[in-house]
Amino acid sequence: MPNALGSIRPSSLAVVAVFAAAASVSAQAARAGKTSPTRGASAFTTSRGEWPSYTGDTRGSRYSPLDQISAGNFSSLEAAWRFKTDSLGPRPEFKLEGTPLMVGGVLYATGGTNRAVVALDAVTGSQRWVHREDEGERGAAAPRSLSGRGLAYWTDGREERILYVTPGYRLIALDATTGARISSFGTDGVVDLKTDIDQTIFPDLVTGEIGFQGAPVVGRDVVIIGASFKEGTAPKSYKNNKGYVRGFDVRTGKRLWTFHTIPKQGEPGYDTWLNGSAEYTGNTGVWTQLTVDEELGLVYLPVESPTGDYYGGHRPGNNLYGESLVCLDLRTGAKKWHYQIVHHPIWDFDLASAPILADISVDGTAIKAVAVPTKQGILYVFDRVTGKPVWPFEETPVEKGDVPGEWYSPTQPIPTKPSAYARNGTSIDDLVDFTPELRAQAVAIASRYKLGPVFTPPSVSKVDGPIGTLARGPTNGGSNWPGGSYDPETHIVYVASSNAAPAVLGLVHPSKDRSDMDWIWGVASAQAGGGGRGGAPLSVQGLPLFKPPYGTITAINLDKGEIAWQVPHGETPDAVRNHEMLKAMTIPRTGQPGFLVGTLVTKTLVIAGDPQVTTLPTRPRGAMLRAYDKATGAEVGSVLLPAPISGSPMTYAVNGKQYIVTAVSGGPYSGEYIALRLPTDAPR
Amino acid sequence: MMERLSRRFVAVCGLVATAALWPLHLEPRATSSRLPARTVWDSVYTVSQAATGEAAYAKTCARCHGASLGGHDESPPLVGSAFLANWNGVPLSDLQTRIRTTMPSDSVGVYERQLVTDVIAYLLKANGFPAGGVALPQDVEPLKEIVIQASRP
Repeated sequence: MPNALGSIRPSSLAVVAVFAAAASVSAQAARAGKTSPTRGASAFTTSRGEWPSYTGDTRGSRYSPLDQISAGNFSSLEAAWRFKTDSLGPRPEFKLEGTPLMVGGVLYATGGTNRAVVALDAVTGSQRWVHREDEGERGAAAPRSLSGRGLAYWTDGREERILYVTPGYRLIALDATTGARISSFGTDGVVDLKTDIDQTIFPDLVTGEIGFQGAPVVGRDVVIIGASFKEGTAPKSYKNNKGYVRGFDVRTGKRLWTFHTIPKQGEPGYDTWLNGSAEYTGNTGVWTQLTVDEELGLVYLPVESPTGDYYGGHRPGNNLYGESLVCLDLRTGAKKWHYQIVHHPIWDFDLASAPILADISVDGTAIKAVAVPTKQGILYVFDRVTGKPVWPFEETPVEKGDVPGEWYSPTQPIPTKPSAYARNGTSIDDLVDFTPELRAQAVAIASRYKLGPVFTPPSVSKVDGPIGTLARGPTNGGSNWPGGSYDPETHIVYVASSNAAPAVLGLVHPSKDRSDMDWIWGVASAQAGGGGRGGAPLSVQGLPLFKPPYGTITAINLDKGEIAWQVPHGETPDAVRNHEMLKAMTIPRTGQPGFLVGTLVTKTLVIAGDPQVTTLPTRPRGAMLRAYDKATGAEVGSVLLPAPISGSPMTYAVNGKQYIVTAVSGGPYSGEYIALRLPTDAPR
Repeated sequence: MMERLSRRFVAVCGLVATAALWPLHLEPRATSSRLPARTVWDSVYTVSQAATGEAAYAKTCARCHGASLGGHDESPPLVGSAFLANWNGVPLSDLQTRIRTTMPSDSVGVYERQLVTDVIAYLLKANGFPAGGVALPQDVEPLKEIVIQASRP
């Protein structure tokens, strides 16, 4: 039986003190007797029960060896504390995506619509300090507002710092004990990221489009910052600011290096932008988590799409380093290698997940690998020293589209192993088939679109059809920023994914006041202004257009390059389970579309939350946090939370007790961090 | 033990109420705990209101949520099982408040109550709820009495 937290009343948390210099008594006590850290954040590790970096470590692992919470007791988890983020900003936030850090008995997290930072006692949840920046118009103009995904921790054994990026694109360094800015860092604790960036941000520093909602990563005293922009389906212009990636000295805030994700003239790769399009094309940032190998001194950049998600006619050529994995020297920013995963990106297949570092053994050969989950549901695995694929990628011929002005790559690289872990194309066979009647209706809907395998190009939208290319995702398919997890003991990657996000890749001419692009994302309409018949919902009698499973968790053995197991993840949605036409049928659990589901792997479990709420006869409305046996995929426990699990869960131990913290939010429920632990009398 | 801890947490932290504008139903809603006077199955909007809402949607919302209401990137779908799951058992007043206080994300609060209400009528139509002879009212109080119910009662 799942456990419910319904009896515990959450609170609307008041901000008790700003910049309260409360001594972190229990944090220091917790540290007493521990060896002093000696080199960066690596001195605190998940192996000691901490969670010092966004993914636990800087390697993208989301792994902790803690084992107190296990298959036998997971369902008895209770709330240790709850923290509503409403009061951290001017209004409640309904999209809380943060993953906190935990170091020395103190939990650090972002929250609130203006992205405040809060430090909480990791045992009681009581607030130690909160830090807010009022960015005024600059914050309001941010391309990616709200609370972001998290922050970074750094220490040299004496000082402790928290680093984060504001919505207005300023890097802030805080004293981890007090929440006050470190005055010796940058200018009074701030580095203005819109300056010193090898380009002039236009039109000005206040409204210039560039930001970053991810968590910074720190390795070997270098803090690395990416860049993000507004959603790119219908940009106002084919020209934009460029998403260069930079490394900064974590002590001083001094910029150490800048990597040009769009090469400048004279740099390798500039010739992959025909007609001089590297000069004016922008975006091509890294908006998701960067990954650092501190031992090798390397950083891995998962780069996003160039300007224009679905139309690249203004940027003919392969467009390096768009949708490439790039490996740089951590200290100098010098490029070691790159691999372009999608040539000439026109599907919005941003590399959206943190690259995962994995030391594996393939046919008896030890390989230091890096694996990248993707929106296309393919795990790309490389030797992270050389950049060579571990299993060959085949340059596979793909369909050439017919959008006037577009430039097409004739091939795309597709790995021979492992096989795709999510469905990533569309065909009649993929459509809902609970009954012949439903299938027939789905076929009728699908007949108005162009169907095809992954890398079927977007098409010009026509009122009488095709309305566009019917895609699965790609933006909301496969895996996204929550990424995957990696078990260093068994060499298995765990990754959640979505199969059920139908999207229409249609292109229309924009009006001149909307965009200077030749084509933007949209569907043709008989009426001016959009909408119209082309906008019919992509569902059948209220049921998803595609057949289940709608979302899964997959275990992929990286020694073999094979899927070890795959299970549907998430309760069958209410709209399916209670559907009139399906009442006489027994439908196995369908899972839920899971492109925003984060996995946490521990000594024995894979833990992940449902992204949708459901209501069952046996329990009230809520969303389940689930635990699976990591060896088999069998569900071994679950606990009911009040809202969709909207951030990746993390875990830590303090004073001999293991905790799991996750963000919940969505629909009418505003953001909340919930900490779970076992009751005193729980079985061990 | 946990109940006691939680209460202490509430006592320490819950001193300042969130602005009254935002709903404070912070517990999971048990659908059986409150029998609604009306649900969205009771023909609570008109066809012409939904048409007005559709035009407004195309002009203001579709750029992020998509012409087919399917959502995109950071914008959630407004039709289908995911949308209905999130809002099942919740009064329309909460949906109206959520839209008015968080949308559009780049200039929150610019939409007038009537426009938001008309868009809600369009969302009801798109999700398959029946139209009727009386338009959905824009005031909060009557909307509190109309509950979103995913499946036909």
